[in-house]
Amino acid sequence: MCTLGFLVNPVAGMGGAVGLKGTDGMVEAALSRGAVPRSPGRAKETISLLRSIDIHFLTCSGAMGEEILSEEGISGYEVVYRPESEQTGAPDTMAACRAFLERNADLILFCGGDGTARDIYSVVGDSLPMLGIPAGVKMYSAVFAITPGAAAGIVREGCIKGGRFLFRDAEVMDVDEEAYREGSLRTRLFGIAKSPYRPGLVQGTKQVFEDPDEERAKKDIARFIKEVMEGTPDILYILGPGSTTAAIADEIGIRKTLLGFDAVKGGTLVATDLNEEGLLSLLGGGTRARLVISIIGAQGSILGRGTQQVSPAVLQNIGRENIIVVATPHKLAVTPLVFLDSGDREFDEGFGDHISVVSGYRVAQRKRIGKAPGEGEFP
Amino acid sequence: MVCMHTKIPLDEDQMPKSWYNILPDLPSPLDPPLHPGTGKPLVPDDLTPIFPMELILQEMSSKRTIDIPPEVQEVLRLWRPSPLYRAHRLEKHLKTPAHIYYKYEGVSPPGSHKPNTAVPQAYYNMKAGIERIATETGAGQWGSALAFATQIFGLECTIYMVRSSYAQKPYRKSMMQVWGAECIPSPSTRTKSGSAVLQKDPETTGSLGIAISEAVEDAATHGNTNYSLGSVLNHVCLHQTVIGLECREQLASVDEYPDVVIGCVGGGSNFAGISFPFAGEKLKGTHKETEIIAVEPASCPTLTKGLFAYDYGDVAGLTPLLKMFTLGHDFVPPSIHAGGLRYHGDNPTISRLVYDGVMKAVAYHQSEVFDAAQTFARTEGIIVAPETSHAVRAAIDEALKCRKSGEKKTILFNCSGHGNFDMSAYDAFYAKQLVDYEYPEQLIRESLSRLPKIPGA
Ligand SMILES: Cc1ncc(COP(=O)(O)O)c(C=O)c1O
Repeated sequence: MCTLGFLVNPVAGMGGAVGLKGTDGMVEAALSRGAVPRSPGRAKETISLLRSIDIHFLTCSGAMGEEILSEEGISGYEVVYRPESEQTGAPDTMAACRAFLERNADLILFCGGDGTARDIYSVVGDSLPMLGIPAGVKMYSAVFAITPGAAAGIVREGCIKGGRFLFRDAEVMDVDEEAYREGSLRTRLFGIAKSPYRPGLVQGTKQVFEDPDEERAKKDIARFIKEVMEGTPDILYILGPGSTTAAIADEIGIRKTLLGFDAVKGGTLVATDLNEEGLLSLLGGGTRARLVISIIGAQGSILGRGTQQVSPAVLQNIGRENIIVVATPHKLAVTPLVFLDSGDREFDEGFGDHISVVSGYRVAQRKRIGKAPGEGEFP
Repeated sequence: MVCMHTKIPLDEDQMPKSWYNILPDLPSPLDPPLHPGTGKPLVPDDLTPIFPMELILQEMSSKRTIDIPPEVQEVLRLWRPSPLYRAHRLEKHLKTPAHIYYKYEGVSPPGSHKPNTAVPQAYYNMKAGIERIATETGAGQWGSALAFATQIFGLECTIYMVRSSYAQKPYRKSMMQVWGAECIPSPSTRTKSGSAVLQKDPETTGSLGIAISEAVEDAATHGNTNYSLGSVLNHVCLHQTVIGLECREQLASVDEYPDVVIGCVGGGSNFAGISFPFAGEKLKGTHKETEIIAVEPASCPTLTKGLFAYDYGDVAGLTPLLKMFTLGHDFVPPSIHAGGLRYHGDNPTISRLVYDGVMKAVAYHQSEVFDAAQTFARTEGIIVAPETSHAVRAAIDEALKCRKSGEKKTILFNCSGHGNFDMSAYDAFYAKQLVDYEYPEQLIRESLSRLPKIPGA
């Protein structure tokens, strides 16, 4: 039997409908603007599809979980955390996660947005996998299922197989809500969580046969890029954040910072965790350099989200033709469009309508570039 | 208006009695195939363990025409001559002044041009006293064609089918069974090469390269068994020239000669089939202006982005070295739906003619070709094979150029097969799940710069 930690952020998503672009610290404002809680309904949709499955739920009292389970007729649950006040917040989410960790849950199923994902990740890291039922205002993190129904599908499949989920790395994004309310989207890669998924490529397209194993796909990309690097020992390679570029570092046998920009030349690590200034000084003096970067978060963002170090000045130095985008077929399959938002519109537009994304050993995919940054709600 | 016919038939007794061999019309001889061990030019005896002598002689023949044995003609008459169509409805839809003609090879029992060579290959093997033929198949077109042909001449047939297609195209496998062939998912434990792959990776999806190794090994280790290849080699292209020879007669009957000849290219056999007779005229100077266009997938762009060099025909490096355009024998093309176009090399004669500028090549993405296939199905009715859709795309683009320029060109393309067993590919197109794979040429060149050179290259 599967043990699921089930957690609802009862106020997630409330700010969106009333134009608050996020609910962190804004609950009262949202309520006074007439917002109605959105996440309980979304969570119920998922739970109602899990009734027939043998699952042991660990949850929190009241609106943070218990109410939804009992309303949906689930009896196999245990309350492992009780928030002190009706007004719940980040400390409650984090305390609940500590309880889930202690009780050895197989997975945390939560309902919320980017803020909730960040709070959970700050406690469990990648030691306990998480899956989000989408309900927040912003969902730039890659831990969310596309719909509440899809979340139920993923849980069912893993539980029916006795808890043998397929996991992938999923970026957790930190969005600066203050800045966001002022109209600028500033995100940062907060961490890389483990998240279950269904190998949609195999099941969906029937005929086109892809390896369901995303780790193997990363290795294939890494093997190829390593050979490219070996063939061009004079070029400085800057590896961006994320687990795909980390796989490249693994392949060449260097230690890379997971969330930062590191520089490699001739197979050796030249600098780590570079900021804009560091990048610019490395690039000075006509150094030929390439930027290897992957798609960050759930919205198909390549430049701009979680990659602020790579400023327009840095990009001008590197040059458009020296940007190598990498992503697994799995990631690309759930990313219909990619977005460029480097802060230099002319630079972005110079890519045209399509961009080539290296997706395996000696293979790339042509992806359409979306016209507006992927903002707002999840589809 | 010269002719408003839609179908331009040819009488059975006008079916070609001989094949056209383009080799003697080349300005200089092809670079010879090399022995993989010694690097020396092959001699006929090098190939006798897996091919009958008659086919080996055809492979290297300097005769301009080679007679089609009457027993082979008799079988070909089951569907040949195949119809040539004037695509009136497509022309109207495109509002083009061009005349579009297509040769429909989907009328053969297996549904493609492949039996044009499967039948003579089975025949010559039967004549040589061979009892069984082993081959590989990717998407299943070649396997079903050879199953059909071997059954007619009373031979046994063993087909190693790439495992992923075996699972995805169950009806191709059923066809082979109806025609009495044995179809085995590859890699299999039947061969040493298959077992070795399975031991390393039991979950492998298989590949054409592995399946070729299994079939060759099967043939080489059984005295009564030969190997057969459905494309790439000169004798295969030779057998396919009936397509172009018929087209020439059919077009002449309506007072036309093509300005543009188009075909899709996997290993090159159907393209060679439709284009060699016209390329011959171009080389001889009788029709110098004909444009001959090979169409390939952007994901496996052998002619447009490959190198013209000696390379092996298979992944393991067991076959002779051929001078051809190649993406490298260890290149595993991505799993596009046009499985028959996933080949790293191309027929040496086509390669040479492209290199010399007698023919040219273009490449398209998956979504573009299925879009064209949809247009074709909705105007002309035929749902073409994913491979064929590449030729359809190029023909449509040529016709659209004519709309712009006002030119009234005569466009001929080879409609190499129907797609009745490929409907899951169309499903994927409608589900917007087609991936536009690309070949990152620059990066691949860089990654290869450190690799050792193959002998003779
Ligand atoms: C219908 C069809 N067209 C074209 C091809 C490509 O092969 P070739 O280049 O040898 O004609 C195939 C191969 O399987 C096929 O089935």
